[in-house]
Amino acid sequence: MAFQVSIPGGSVSRRGFLRGTAATAGALMLPGRLMAQDLGPLVEWLPGGSPLFCEIHTGLLAGFAERGGFSSSETVCGLGQNTEFNQSLIGAIASGNPPDISMLWDSPVSLGAQGAFMPLDEMMKGSTIPLETWPGGLLASCQFRGVTYGLPVTAGIYTMWFNQDMFEAKGIPTDRASFPKTWDEMRKLSKEFTVWDGDYLQVAGFVPPRAVEPMAVWSALNGGKLYDAANLKYMLDSEQNIEMFNYFLDWLNEEYKGDVNLIDRSGNFTDGYPNTTTGMGPAFRESRLAGMQSGSWLMGDFYSDPAPNFQRWDLAAHPVGPSGSATAAGIWPNWFVIPVGSKNPQAAFDYLAYLSVEGVVKWYEQIPDVPTNSQVKAKPPASLVERRGQEFADSASAFLQEQAAIVTPMWDSPVQGFATDQMTRAMEKIYTKAATPAEALAEAQSACQTELERVLAG
Amino acid sequence: MADRGETVAGATPPRRRRKAGRAEARAGVLFALPWIIALVVFTLVPLILTFVIAQTKFQIIGLPTWVGLANYEAMLKDPAVWTSARNSALYAVLSVPIKLVLALILALLLNRVTRLAGFYRTVFYLPFLMPAVSGAIVFMLLLSPTGGPVNLILGALGFDAPDWLRDPSVALWTLVLLSLWPLGVETLVFLGGLQNIPRDVQEAAELDSPKAWHRLVWITLPLITPMILFNLVIGIISSFQVFVQAIVIGGTTGTPAESTLMYMVVLYRAAFRYFNIGYAAAMATVLFVVVLLLTLLVFRTARSWVYYEGESR
Repeated sequence: MAFQVSIPGGSVSRRGFLRGTAATAGALMLPGRLMAQDLGPLVEWLPGGSPLFCEIHTGLLAGFAERGGFSSSETVCGLGQNTEFNQSLIGAIASGNPPDISMLWDSPVSLGAQGAFMPLDEMMKGSTIPLETWPGGLLASCQFRGVTYGLPVTAGIYTMWFNQDMFEAKGIPTDRASFPKTWDEMRKLSKEFTVWDGDYLQVAGFVPPRAVEPMAVWSALNGGKLYDAANLKYMLDSEQNIEMFNYFLDWLNEEYKGDVNLIDRSGNFTDGYPNTTTGMGPAFRESRLAGMQSGSWLMGDFYSDPAPNFQRWDLAAHPVGPSGSATAAGIWPNWFVIPVGSKNPQAAFDYLAYLSVEGVVKWYEQIPDVPTNSQVKAKPPASLVERRGQEFADSASAFLQEQAAIVTPMWDSPVQGFATDQMTRAMEKIYTKAATPAEALAEAQSACQTELERVLAG
Repeated sequence: MADRGETVAGATPPRRRRKAGRAEARAGVLFALPWIIALVVFTLVPLILTFVIAQTKFQIIGLPTWVGLANYEAMLKDPAVWTSARNSALYAVLSVPIKLVLALILALLLNRVTRLAGFYRTVFYLPFLMPAVSGAIVFMLLLSPTGGPVNLILGALGFDAPDWLRDPSVALWTLVLLSLWPLGVETLVFLGGLQNIPRDVQEAAELDSPKAWHRLVWITLPLITPMILFNLVIGIISSFQVFVQAIVIGGTTGTPAESTLMYMVVLYRAAFRYFNIGYAAAMATVLFVVVLLLTLLVFRTARSWVYYEGESR
């Protein structure tokens, strides 16, 4: 039989209740002095990241736990990315043994809507990190039906990247302000760089976007959206989105022989990292791609293997589509949640409040995940200063924080994973011309809306 | 007299015999108990729970709600289920027979090897020990359209190298190719069968027919039909459960163009990506029934083509 006890700010399972009762009884038998000192371990889970990432978080939590009277702290790193991590986390929550705090590289909305995470609104009121200190677009990705299930502590910010050395060689201005403001300007500029050798793409300017996650940004740039969280409605087959993909296809036909496979066989033109499946190096770092959309996290990896064969690059705002009116940015989440069943929910929240404003300064100094709370005054990452100098690092850092303020709402659907798969399928059909944008998007729209209604029906 | 119940010298009294039999049975049950408990806890209970959960809306967190056959109805309308079922069936039809034939050829060759036999057996078994994920990644690098050694060799020989992983008409064949790599278990099973063929039968066959091909078809193959049956059943079951290679190559969407979208991938993503456990349980139930029916069908036909030594017809 199910047994649930409601407490302010959440509920506990029978197991949690019994554990809590036993702990309370045990605690009553202890001398008061000892009880005040030992609050048990504070446990945090991280999905993945480098050894440095793990080391930073371990140190931050340990310092906080020590000051807060906890006997110890434990930071569990590298539990797998996205699906694998969510699987472990949800299993721990369901079995009544979750961590106190968890980072998510996914939307807290999907699992929050199912009751996996504690609502944070009450705890945020009167704390050092109230709602108004967070950018709306970022906070939206943690909210469902007006309830906040996570904190957007730092974000990977999607912007445009361009190779200043390549621009300069063509006599094109290399300052951020002169970067193309519209898709038409970007497309026109792209042609100046693109060189084919038969069916081999030697050099490209910009290529039509094909990554699924940031597609919400491109849609916003064209005045559309993929999902309307306020009305719980998918909008994949809107006029703006159909127009967007027709525009990209037209661009593909005009500049890239209408064949994405030719681009893929020539190199990795889709992001700034080596392709793990083909072993091909990133065209951008090889000076074979003049510009691309990428995330701020690339700043931390840019000079690692394979090292770029140029020095000067810069960031710029996204250009606007034919039906759009303003630029926008996008995010990859580094969000934090307090799972239901956390043994120390208030301490977990206090840690997140510390992390959001103070801890994040140390974090950002070493890894370029952009702090998002408006109260943070962070120095740019040391590695960036070392490579590009203080002036550039300050400028890039300030630019990223400006971009964080104009992030378009994304990662905010209760069926995020399902929708991502549907969009992947639709985009594959569109770019391989197996279906028109209108057909592929209509099919994805129908599937996503049906799944959303099914999930919400409970 | 024995029939009156008197004790015959040297024979165990019936009552004591019954007692001893019961004690033996108890000991047998006791020895088997750990396995029986494990079977009940880890197989039977989850199996029954799967059938029950399949009739609920259950998203791991929170309690399941009863929906009857709604998950099965949803399956019928889900294009991904049909696509993945078609792909999985095609994969099974292609991979199982090819794998059986290749494993048999390999076993026949290993059976003739006298020097370094243990070494060769180990070499052919090794791929089976490699984690499937690593194997899939190695194959992806080998088959890369740019710089992959397979296509470089094919190109150098003048062949038109296919786009193994991106061409929808080729990608399923790539998965089949991957399934042929770890042939060790099937080969060892065949080898065991071949080595159990009595020497006198082989000598008699050699006298009757000088042609090796005839001996293979009329003597060797009939004598190893139990091994063929075993490999066939296991092959059918495992081919419908192909997952790791499919998800490494095609992700959760079965790229390119859903050509690598397997039934188990759709089941997995329903459970752990979309948190739709009830639906995934319904898919698992259908898979269980289909594989069970196929297995029963194979066993039914086996009566006409499997020969067990000492069996009279």
